[in-house]
Amino acid sequence: MKFRYAMVCSSNQNRSMEAHNLLKRQGLDVASYGTGSHVKLPGPSLREPNVYDFGTPYKQMFDELRRKDPELYKRNGILQMLKRNLSVKLAPQRWQDNAGDGVFDVVMTFEEKVFDSVLEDLNNREQSLMKTILVMNLEVKDNHEEAAIGGRLALELCQEIEGNESWEDTIDDIVAGFEKQHRRKLVYSISFY
Amino acid sequence: MVGIMASYSRERLEGLASSAKSATELPPKLHRLRNLRRNLQGDASVFPNELLPLLFDLLSDQFGAVRKFVAEILGEIGLKYVELLPEIVPLLIKSLEDETPAVARQAIACGADLFSSTLEKVAVQGLHSSELDELLESSWTWMIKFKDEICSLAFKQGNSGVKLCAIKFVEALIVFYTPDPSGSLESSSREDFNISILRGGHPILNIGDLSIEASQKLGLLLDQLRHPAAKSLNSPTIIVLINSLSSVAKKRPAYCGKILPVLLSLDPLIFLKGVHAAAANLALKTVFLSCLKCTHPAAAPWKDRLIGALKEIEDGGRVDKAEDLFFKTNGSIQDNDSVEDTKFQVSKKENPLCASSVVEERNFGRKRSGSDKNIDLNGDALSGKRARITPSMSGESTGGLNGDDVDSLPLVASTSAGQSISRGVSDTGPVQQLVAMFGALVAQGEKAIGSLEILISSISADLLADVVMANMDNIPPNGSSYADGTDGLVMNMCLVGSDAHIKYPPSFVAGVLSLSTAFPPIAALINPHIPKMKKEGEEFSADHVDQQMFPAEDAVLATGLSASSDTSLPVNEEGTSVFPPNVHYIGNIESDIPGLDSSGQHDVLSEAPITSVLGSTNVEAASKNQDASFSGELLLAVIPSVSMDKSEEFSPKAAGTGSNSLVSSTATSIASAPQFVLPKISAPVVDLSDGEKDGLQKLVFLRIVEAYKQISISGGSQLRFSLLGHLGAEFPSELDPWKILQEHILSDYLSHEGHELTVRVLYRLHGEAEAEQDYFSSATAASAYESFLLAVAEALRDSFPPSDKSLSKLLGDSPFLPKSVLKLLESFCCPGSDDIVQKNLQNGDRVTQGLSAVWSLIETRPGIRNDCLKIALQSTVHYLGEIRMKAIRLVANRLYSLSYITQQIEEFAKDKLLSVVSPISSERGDAETLIEDCKKEDLDVENPPNKSQPVSGAGMDTSSEATSSTSVTEAQRCLSLYFALCTKKHALFVHVFSIYKDASEPVKEAIHLQIPLLVRTMGSSSELLRIIADPPSGSENLIIKVLQTLTEGSKPSSELIHTIRKLFDTRIKDVEIIYPILPFLPRDDVLRIFPHMVNLPTEKFQVALSRVLQGSSQSGPALSPSEVLIAIHSIDPARDGIPIKQVTEACNTCFAQRETFTQQVLASVLNQLVQQIPLPMLFMRTALQAVGVFPALSDFILEILSRLVSKQIWKYPKLWVGFLKCAQSTQPQSYKVLLQLPSPQLGNALTKIPALRAPLTAHASQPEIQSSLPRSTLAVLGLVPDSQTSQVQASETQNIQVQQQEQASESQQTSQSQQVSVPLSHSETDHQETSQVVASQSQSSPIGTCPSETSQSQSSPIGAGQSEMSQATQVSDSDPQAPTSHTQTSDSQVSSQTQPDDEKMDDDDTVTSENETTEVEKSKESSAEEEEEEGEEEEE
Repeated sequence: MKFRYAMVCSSNQNRSMEAHNLLKRQGLDVASYGTGSHVKLPGPSLREPNVYDFGTPYKQMFDELRRKDPELYKRNGILQMLKRNLSVKLAPQRWQDNAGDGVFDVVMTFEEKVFDSVLEDLNNREQSLMKTILVMNLEVKDNHEEAAIGGRLALELCQEIEGNESWEDTIDDIVAGFEKQHRRKLVYSISFY
Repeated sequence: MVGIMASYSRERLEGLASSAKSATELPPKLHRLRNLRRNLQGDASVFPNELLPLLFDLLSDQFGAVRKFVAEILGEIGLKYVELLPEIVPLLIKSLEDETPAVARQAIACGADLFSSTLEKVAVQGLHSSELDELLESSWTWMIKFKDEICSLAFKQGNSGVKLCAIKFVEALIVFYTPDPSGSLESSSREDFNISILRGGHPILNIGDLSIEASQKLGLLLDQLRHPAAKSLNSPTIIVLINSLSSVAKKRPAYCGKILPVLLSLDPLIFLKGVHAAAANLALKTVFLSCLKCTHPAAAPWKDRLIGALKEIEDGGRVDKAEDLFFKTNGSIQDNDSVEDTKFQVSKKENPLCASSVVEERNFGRKRSGSDKNIDLNGDALSGKRARITPSMSGESTGGLNGDDVDSLPLVASTSAGQSISRGVSDTGPVQQLVAMFGALVAQGEKAIGSLEILISSISADLLADVVMANMDNIPPNGSSYADGTDGLVMNMCLVGSDAHIKYPPSFVAGVLSLSTAFPPIAALINPHIPKMKKEGEEFSADHVDQQMFPAEDAVLATGLSASSDTSLPVNEEGTSVFPPNVHYIGNIESDIPGLDSSGQHDVLSEAPITSVLGSTNVEAASKNQDASFSGELLLAVIPSVSMDKSEEFSPKAAGTGSNSLVSSTATSIASAPQFVLPKISAPVVDLSDGEKDGLQKLVFLRIVEAYKQISISGGSQLRFSLLGHLGAEFPSELDPWKILQEHILSDYLSHEGHELTVRVLYRLHGEAEAEQDYFSSATAASAYESFLLAVAEALRDSFPPSDKSLSKLLGDSPFLPKSVLKLLESFCCPGSDDIVQKNLQNGDRVTQGLSAVWSLIETRPGIRNDCLKIALQSTVHYLGEIRMKAIRLVANRLYSLSYITQQIEEFAKDKLLSVVSPISSERGDAETLIEDCKKEDLDVENPPNKSQPVSGAGMDTSSEATSSTSVTEAQRCLSLYFALCTKKHALFVHVFSIYKDASEPVKEAIHLQIPLLVRTMGSSSELLRIIADPPSGSENLIIKVLQTLTEGSKPSSELIHTIRKLFDTRIKDVEIIYPILPFLPRDDVLRIFPHMVNLPTEKFQVALSRVLQGSSQSGPALSPSEVLIAIHSIDPARDGIPIKQVTEACNTCFAQRETFTQQVLASVLNQLVQQIPLPMLFMRTALQAVGVFPALSDFILEILSRLVSKQIWKYPKLWVGFLKCAQSTQPQSYKVLLQLPSPQLGNALTKIPALRAPLTAHASQPEIQSSLPRSTLAVLGLVPDSQTSQVQASETQNIQVQQQEQASESQQTSQSQQVSVPLSHSETDHQETSQVVASQSQSSPIGTCPSETSQSQSSPIGAGQSEMSQATQVSDSDPQAPTSHTQTSDSQVSSQTQPDDEKMDDDDTVTSENETTEVEKSKESSAEEEEEEGEEEEE
């Protein structure tokens, strides 16, 4: 069964893009989003993040940060991340602003806050298509290492789901199996388009 | 034209459909169908009916995907052409049963679309005509059927995916069938279709029936979640059910009462497990949260229970969030920005009422001014707020509407609402909410009877009773209570008005304020006008409402809903008329509405200083405010009725505020607020540039930093630390607060409480880094953390002596040690070369410091235990011995005993141990470079390469280093730790043995170097014995080393001896391993292994001999010297497998030790030996040697010889030869013994040693001797003519005739009378001369006293004889023996030449030794001769 997947984190930079990249390479139909109000990248200090609007191309961020302080952003892995991102898609997208992107079957989120945002947004949309959407949350810490792990897990999970005709009957088993195997908590909910 | 187009497209469509049908593959089918669909969508003309059958056929296609797609197309067609529904729907119904869930789902989706559109069409048509289109009617009938089918799917077991869709459909159906309370008739879009447009008299649809059906369906949904049924559901179904129900509850709040009890009673944990519970819990949580957001009055009574349930679900974890959310929704529907967020936080701490009202006020203002949401939303929001706890707003808005409607009832409602709230401020519990709710419903009149019933039915009897009781308060006992209510109203209006003032500059407001306080009389004058203004205010708000095109009906509805009151309150006129007289009671309001009061006052208080800058007179006002607030707070504790009096006191001030509002009202806004709101508005906003902000912040920071003295005295340093840490984290990095802080800390670490401050800062940063809020900020914090800690640590290192504990303490207390800090620690413990150069003196202490820090970290910080251990271990193989020893001491003595790292330490040590073997032994050639590389690497890790040395020079140096010493030290470097561990755990020692075999020489050397110390430390423990008992092959040398060490100094234990014995017997035949214990072995054992020792090379035998003889201090020598000799002699070469040469060697060794093997010893040995039967093989040789070494023994020897004669020594050919030699060497004393021989033997002897003949004959010819000799003997000697025998002899031994002749000539010399028949040659004369010399010599010396004399006498005859022989050779070449003895001759000549000198000397040591050597040489010669003879004999 060919499902459409969405990977969602808060800034559509690290976790969701890692997963997006992986899933894309595995040939899955995937998109990625962020639910935050802005795209935030670390700046020279805690209180000076680099803030961008969603839709600002990764390339632009990349160039800008490289101009600003190549050393710093190389050291904290931002440049590498942006480089990866710009090879995946053009720009970060905001989940709430892209309802027009069509119908997804499965949404993976990587943070409870994001999960809640997605569900709330889905609930606020008009639900007339009678089309189920599975929203799952996998807690992944927002750093490069964890994102890589989270991405792999997401891929595994999606492939598992992909193997089913309809996930509605099997999702409990999939989730239970996943939790048992990886000792990670997975919550999900179901919403409608 | 159109027709052509139509026909064209029709044909085309049909073509597509049929080709799709005929296609056998899935992709082309789908492709054609997609084309078909596109064409259909584009074509607006009448639908080609012919197409339907084709499509219907496709509905039974073999591919699920095709069926699904066709169902979708049919759905679209149905939407577009309602008249076709009766044909399409039955097929779709059939599709519901499709085996592919996707098809069924698609059918449901189509059903939902079709149903809603048909319903709308039916409804709308019914509005306009009393009869319906027949076609539509039949379509509707089909749709009803379709609907029922789908609904039945929702309530029966089946494919989950289908069921979920069906449930969703039911949800949609319920929503369709019930009026949308917030909906409006205006909206025409399908989404906004509202069943409430139906009026009575619709031909088909009856809103009541529909509601009943909706209720039924809802009931069915709910039933599924009730206890027994829910068990059989899977979690997706439960989630969807819960979500659907919540969605219904949200859209149709009237059902809240029905839905929420079920949801609340749903305890997933009871009947669900694992994932199910988690998923369901989550769904419930979401639902509850969203219900909390629901603003409909019907939802209100459930809020507390919802919060409670959430608490249960989350165990209190998320309740805060829930409450937060609740407030947020109450306050604003849009995204709340951070400003509001902070507001909420503040408000939460105070009174919830205050919070909501404050927010509300802002929000309201915004909605009025800027909200583009439509009216119903606004109204809805308002009603929601009212329903909860916001009397002020409700009062105001009703007031506003009131003005428009000129309707008395709402006004009353509003007043009482105000009152009820003012009463119930301190009690905002569910009861109060319910009262409000009832009020709202009742105010709705008959319409709301249904909802009212639901509400009543859904609350418990107790709660209902409470509601009634609570409501009793609302019944006005007297007028004053109304006054309260209206006060509330006034207040509220002011509040609202004040909001409109936000835009006014603060200075203006301040000015007004000062004016009013400056002229209280005017204020008092103005005061009565307030009601008028109120009127204006009503108009104002009404205007607003108008502007927003607030529909009249809705307005009524809204007010009705919101107004909380009993309908039984008829006194509306009174409500309005109460206004004027009570205005001056404003002060009272403060006390009655503490929330508002306190918030207002707070603002005043906080901003008072600022306003005072703007206008000095303001201070007065502010202070008055404070008074007021104070009294207000006091009043809170007093009953409301009493507060009346109190408020009177403040009436002047209240009047003042009244004037205030009047003045401000000149700006067209009515409700210029009472003064306690104003200061809040006048908050000054000073725009600072970023630079100025930074400057300020920096100043602040520096000031706190510098304030340490005062603070340390006053005792607030903890707070200061926290403050600094927090500020540091908050400040932008350009200010570099950390640097400032570091400088401060390091300027005087101790007195500035540097440790505490540093740790505080570190914790703060670490918390920031770990907060997980945002990866990016945490990354920055982490790097700040690292650099801070590193900077402080480095500074501590550089500025404190190594003995100082600060650094260690800091590391121990830091929440986390990043890599760089561990590196620093490592550089302590394993310093590189340039460090040493720089801090030569401190180095050792540094290492100690580093190691002790590492030690404490290992013990106290499990998280970084491994890293620290690595450092310590690294240090144990440091190339500097000093450092290494320190580290090893730490690791072996302290760390190794910690059970959690024992294993790692062991492994590391073992790796190192093995590393010593593998690289060096296998790649001998590369070993040096390898080691060098290792070294360099080590250095590189810790320090940059040493630059002080020229690179080439360094290379030269290292390569030119002595390879062996490098390898030995290198091996020691790697081995030390292991050896240290061995002392702790003896069993480890076995690996040393096992690698020993493969170890290279340097490594072995290194091991040997360390073994003594190690083994001494270990002692002969049982583990060690076990290792010794079963040593790996190839480790013999090591074992011997170990044993030597073990037996040094002390008596070995019996176990050890036993072990070694056993080992010797079983495994290792090398007798050397016995050596160490030789002294301790019993005599028999020693004797038993003695032959083995004899078999060793001379040097080793010497060692063994000395051990045996030396023995142990306790038990004395294992063997006495005589025993040793006897043991040697008792060796049978054949039996023991030992070459005779070894045995003679052993003898020689013994004889060499003249101090041990003394004359007496030899005598007793010989004495013992001679008694043995058979005689030992070497007996004669020993005797010969003995007499050679100790000439004084000659008498004794002679005695022995004579005993041998009696033993018929000639029967033992080997000994016989020795006997003769012995006799020869002891002549002339031995003549006596020789003459005792029977004549044949004597003859044989003389034949063997012809040289004896002459002297013997001479000796025998002495008359007294000759007389005693038997004739036969004399005959042999030729003293008695016995021709027969001599002839026989001569004829027999022709070959030795020459010798005989010589002998004869010799004897001739001694006995002048003897005549030799042999013709004398020239040589004979010479011989005679020499013999004479010899004789004279021998005669001149006293016989038997001087050894040299003896030797002289011994050697000279032979030498003389030989020399004579050589001379003879020179003369006559016919002599066959000549060439062999040439060198011998010269030797003996030399010796004889030296003899005269020796003679002159007295009997002293040098001479003795000189003689000894010659003696030894002699004995060697003789033994050689012996062997030759033996060889000859063997040949025979």
